[in-house]
Parts: sequence; structure tokens; C-alpha cells
Amino acid sequence: MKVTIIGIPVRDQAKALQFYTEVLGFIKKKDLPLGGGNRWLTVVSAEAPDGPEILLEPAPLHFEPSKVFQDALMDAGIPYTQFDVESVDAEYERLTQLGVAFSVQPTEMGTVKVAVFNDTCGNNIQIVEML
Amino acid sequence: MTFYEAEIKRIRSICYANDKQLETVIAVRNFIDQHFEETLDLDQLSRVGLTSKYHLLRLFKQYYGLTPRQYLIDKRIAASKEQLRKGTSVTECCWAVGFASLGSFSTLFKARTGQSPREYQKEQLSRST
Repeated sequence: MKVTIIGIPVRDQAKALQFYTEVLGFIKKKDLPLGGGNRWLTVVSAEAPDGPEILLEPAPLHFEPSKVFQDALMDAGIPYTQFDVESVDAEYERLTQLGVAFSVQPTEMGTVKVAVFNDTCGNNIQIVEML
Repeated sequence: MTFYEAEIKRIRSICYANDKQLETVIAVRNFIDQHFEETLDLDQLSRVGLTSKYHLLRLFKQYYGLTPRQYLIDKRIAASKEQLRKGTSVTECCWAVGFASLGSFSTLFKARTGQSPREYQKEQLSRST
């Protein structure tokens, strides 16, 4: 077995694609129509294009418990998932200038530094730098 | 303050309150990052961390979840993947990233990536053409 895809629930796939590519810097990998305006839409890291794909899935629009879970995580400030970065401070600076809202400023926690931002699609996302 | 921020503070106060220990392991990890191509052993790393080797072993594992040796191997394998993607030969790559023998490099590479260095390089180079 291999890990090839990680799903992230999003409220609007077009908006999510724009945020994950134009703001975060991911690259679109697959985009297939699934009917009803839904897409099998994946992006990959520009630094590791052969790594796992992120599936931007419209689950909260079609499955109520997914929406409830996503809302509960958002309200509690809990990240849906996390991405590694070289420098949390540099990414914080870059993303803040692009208008991204952070709920946790760069914070050292033992041997890592973390920060948490809103992906504008219903999720908190954490960035992590190993110290 | 969100629930998550409160949890960060709570966990930090429980698990990461000892600044001296954190300084030690972070210094050792940075040293490995900067010197992974060289011959490194626990005696040398313990001198960097100004602590005994068994204490360092325990602390490193506690804070990074890996032993210094496991971390060093991961670092070398990551560096070797980069070299192999650039077309460096398997033998050259083995020495360049600090492995002492081709046999151990190949065995460790396969155990961590599921492919031999040669298979990995062939696949990567075929993707880029």
C-alpha cells in the first residue's frame, strides 16, 4: 500500500483551486468532471510534484456530517492538516502580505515552530518547521 | 483564545518546559544537518551537545521521535535522492552523502524507499525525459 492522496474538504472547489495554487503555490495535477458540477481535483506541492496529491473534495456540500465536522474543527481552531515548510516566519510573512488570516502566529513548540492559517475554504491549515 | 491555542500552551508546558534540553537536541540536530556527509558518531554528537552519549540518545529520541543515527540516515537518504535525480552515479552518491559502504547504502535506501538506488534513479530520470 502507498499513500498517494490526502483529502481536504472544501466548500467551493474553484475557490479552493485558486487559493491552493495562486496563494499557497501548489500545482494542479488532475481535474476530472464527476457530474453535478463536482470535480476530481488534485494539487501537488511544487517542491515535490511526485509526492502525495491533495484532493480538494466537495464533501461538506453533499454529506452533512462532513460539514458538521469541518465546522467543529474550524470553531475550535484545530488544523485539518499540516504542511512542512523551510521557514514558518518567511511563509507567515509571505502569506500575510497576500491577505491570508492566521489564527496562530508563529509559535515555537519544542523542536518545531508552527503557525495556523485559514484556507478560506472551511479549514484551518498548520505549517510546520522543524527546529 | 481557541481550543487549539489552549492545547498548544498546555502541551508546551507539559512536554517542552526544559529549555536546556531543547537547546541540546536542536544544536545536535543542526550539527547533523550541516555535517551529515562526514563520519559522525554518538561520541562526537555528545560533545556537540555537551552531554553524555546515552543521555543524548534518550533526549534526541524523546524530542524528535528518532535516534540520532536514524535521523542521520534519513538525512543522508534524502540527500542521496537529490543527487540521484541529478544523474550522479550510485557509487559517487554513496560517498558524497556520507555512507561508508555501497552495501549499507543500498540496503538502507531500499528499506526506506522500497527501491534500490539504481531503480530509483532510473525511474526519476525516465520521468524527466
